[in-house]
Amino acid sequence: MIVVRGKTWLSILLISVLALCLLSGCAGDKQGSETTPVPTEKASIKIGGSSTLAPIIAKCADNFTEEFKTWNKVDSSLPDEPIVIFVSTGGSGFGLKSAVDGTFDFGMVTKDLKDEEKAQFANGSITQLGSDVLDIGVNAANPIAKVKPNLTTEELVAIFSGKVKTWKELDPALPDRPIVVAVRDLGGGASEVFDKAIMKGTPISPEALQIPSMGALGGKIMDNADTIGYVSSGLVNQNPDKIIPLSVDGIAPTLENINSGKYKIGRPLLLLSKEKPDAKQQKFLDYLQSDKGLKVVEDLGYIPVAR
Amino acid sequence: MNPGLELKEKIISTIFISAAVLSSLLLLGMLLFILRESWPIWSQVGAMDFLSGTAWRPVSTPPQFGIAPMLISTMWVAGGALLIAAPLGFGCAIFLAEFAPAPLPAMLRPVLNMLTGIPSVVYGFLGAAVLIKFFELRFDLASGESLFAASLILAIMILPFITSNSEAALRSVAPEYRQAGMALGVSREYMALRVLVPLARRGMMGALVLAFGRAMGETMAVLMVAGNTLMLPFSWFNKGEPLPALIALELGSSIPGSIHYQALFAAGLVLIVMVIAVNFGVNILLRRLKSGVKQF
Repeated sequence: MIVVRGKTWLSILLISVLALCLLSGCAGDKQGSETTPVPTEKASIKIGGSSTLAPIIAKCADNFTEEFKTWNKVDSSLPDEPIVIFVSTGGSGFGLKSAVDGTFDFGMVTKDLKDEEKAQFANGSITQLGSDVLDIGVNAANPIAKVKPNLTTEELVAIFSGKVKTWKELDPALPDRPIVVAVRDLGGGASEVFDKAIMKGTPISPEALQIPSMGALGGKIMDNADTIGYVSSGLVNQNPDKIIPLSVDGIAPTLENINSGKYKIGRPLLLLSKEKPDAKQQKFLDYLQSDKGLKVVEDLGYIPVAR
Repeated sequence: MNPGLELKEKIISTIFISAAVLSSLLLLGMLLFILRESWPIWSQVGAMDFLSGTAWRPVSTPPQFGIAPMLISTMWVAGGALLIAAPLGFGCAIFLAEFAPAPLPAMLRPVLNMLTGIPSVVYGFLGAAVLIKFFELRFDLASGESLFAASLILAIMILPFITSNSEAALRSVAPEYRQAGMALGVSREYMALRVLVPLARRGMMGALVLAFGRAMGETMAVLMVAGNTLMLPFSWFNKGEPLPALIALELGSSIPGSIHYQALFAAGLVLIVMVIAVNFGVNILLRRLKSGVKQF
């Protein structure tokens, strides 16, 4: 007689379920790509990518969810379902990749798209919410803000490539202390922008500190009097007394100079989707581009897109 | 034997075997996947140039991929952490197993175990906010990040691993040795250091290896305090960018399928192979070592 007690059955059952889960993972994505030419109505909107854009979108998503709560309040033709929007961070490259492979409905990307990257979104949408300007920031305690508030492109290249190593070398009136160069990771959105506008291919000094996020880079400048780095104008505007922006080639990063295009170190804030946004997603996109959405862009210190 | 029982045994052993096979297959599959993703690096750049090159310029034209600075940083950080944590951990373990008065181990062990439960990002955050600041102020450094700071943080993280595994090894020494020692009237110090520690040597070495592997692979805490410079580190007090930090920092911004992306996968493969090699090496060493009690 076969004696199998309840507990064993339970464990066999559990293990078979686990095994099935594992197996189903193998087949899942193939089906998806065959059967989704039409945008499907999904329960939630998933957005991921750039750590610069994430706080903006997260704030907008909060406001949007709080204001409407369910989709039918946004538009009566939509179902009576709660609004769920996920926002996660991981860098522009991650945003681009996830938008392409469908991990996220929208990828947040803060850099100029190359043509081959644009081509991947030909059937979807590319929405610009504004632009992020990189300021050359120094600590408020650094005398350079008074002694030498303007740097030329050549001086910046010399500093960031490690040719000029102390503040004194830059200007005799400055203290004889090493310059701590802080940058974002090479290949990231911000470093690409900086390379295009200033470095033009000159390698960044191997001694430069690579900081994993824009917020941490701003924090480093605020904490350390010898640091110079490129920071989002947003961060500078949020901490006006702690980070001092320097002019580049005589042009200060003011709103007028940015909008007129005179100040060159900047990048667009983009939302990408691979497929045409469905009704819900379109409503959220519209909201982001409305006065309320762009107000958030401005409040967090970025330059909202001109309408 | 009861035929039902036999069937039951068979079913259960099949389940266990398949679970074991599945997990080894997962490891193998992961290795193969990473190897495939990183293959262009090995074939185009070459293993020697990749491992010994000192310039990492993944997005320049032409790109340069050399991970020697990261390899050395990884060894400094993990080795340094072990250097700090091993004496402390062994000391703790010997104290807890042999010298601590009865209620103390029961109280200390949960505290030590809790240290393992603290997320590494919290350690990293503390390191970046407190340790780095302290170094800058205390030693008047331009910036406080260094491999040493990373080692210090890692040492705290791996301390509980070393302690709890070594303590377990010490406690699992057969009681006969203890009784024999007592009968001979040796001091507690002699018993602990000359009898129990040599007997538990294998377990204690194992604890070290586990800790070393963990220290090499640790990402978040290291990323936040090591400074992430691309320079070849010449001392413990230089800045550096260990392999996990490199991967964590750049994978998000690399374009999938690009040579940069593949180079990061290659770096990941190197890291895995390093950890596996350390494990294997020590296993072989341990087999030779056997027990450390001198035979007369």
